[in-house]
Amino acid sequence: MSDINLAVLLARESIRLDEKAADKKAAIEACGRALVEAGVVEEAYVPAMLEREKSISTHIGEGVAIPHATLAGKEAVLRDGLCFLRFPEGVDWDGSTVTICIGIAAQGDGHVDVLAQLAQILMVPEQAAALRNAADPDTVLRMLTPSPANEGE
Amino acid sequence: MTTIDPGTVKKLVVACDAGMGSSAMLAGTLKKQLAKDGITVEHTAVAGIPADADIVLTHAGLLDRARGVAGSTPVVPFNLFLGDPAVTKVVNGLKSGQPFDV
Repeated sequence: MSDINLAVLLARESIRLDEKAADKKAAIEACGRALVEAGVVEEAYVPAMLEREKSISTHIGEGVAIPHATLAGKEAVLRDGLCFLRFPEGVDWDGSTVTICIGIAAQGDGHVDVLAQLAQILMVPEQAAALRNAADPDTVLRMLTPSPANEGE
Repeated sequence: MTTIDPGTVKKLVVACDAGMGSSAMLAGTLKKQLAKDGITVEHTAVAGIPADADIVLTHAGLLDRARGVAGSTPVVPFNLFLGDPAVTKVVNGLKSGQPFDV
């Protein structure tokens, strides 16, 4: 799992820092579109993402949400992949404000280390702010690259 | 209330709806935290909780479903995917090596 290639999981074109969405649904659909355009999922994945959001919010704190599908949507996954969408004006997420949506599609475990790295960033408020204010896609990629020093195995 | 003896815990499972998003993130974090303690951390969909799990963590909203699948294996609910006190308690308990209640 240490040989994950972030550039394959998260293409530079899938990092969009100046998005707009009227509401949570629109933001999730934008993530779905980005994943479809990246060739990561089929169209059927997008409604499954909306469905998943109804059961438990994917807002994980620090203005970050990680929309993904239900188990039913897994069949529409073509390969493991992520997208990173920033909504500078913020999106109302059940009363909280979300500015970053990291859309997830996965069949395997290829993305787990990246998510752990994300969690590590979000546990430190200054780092979370740095991620929210990232100037360009390269900064996002650099921050989300799993730190080898902390690799478990 | 169940008492967990860390000495018997070999596998911790984080269960979520699809096993690809929130549970994966938490599992990745726990994998790092428990790497030195000889505990395997996996993430699965609730329906796929393996029989050899020794302790299961799941979102509170999925607790009943998880308990239904996990049988006699202790299932600990949490509400926050980041920094939930219930999760911290389990991690600290497992690392302490001393039995603890969940």
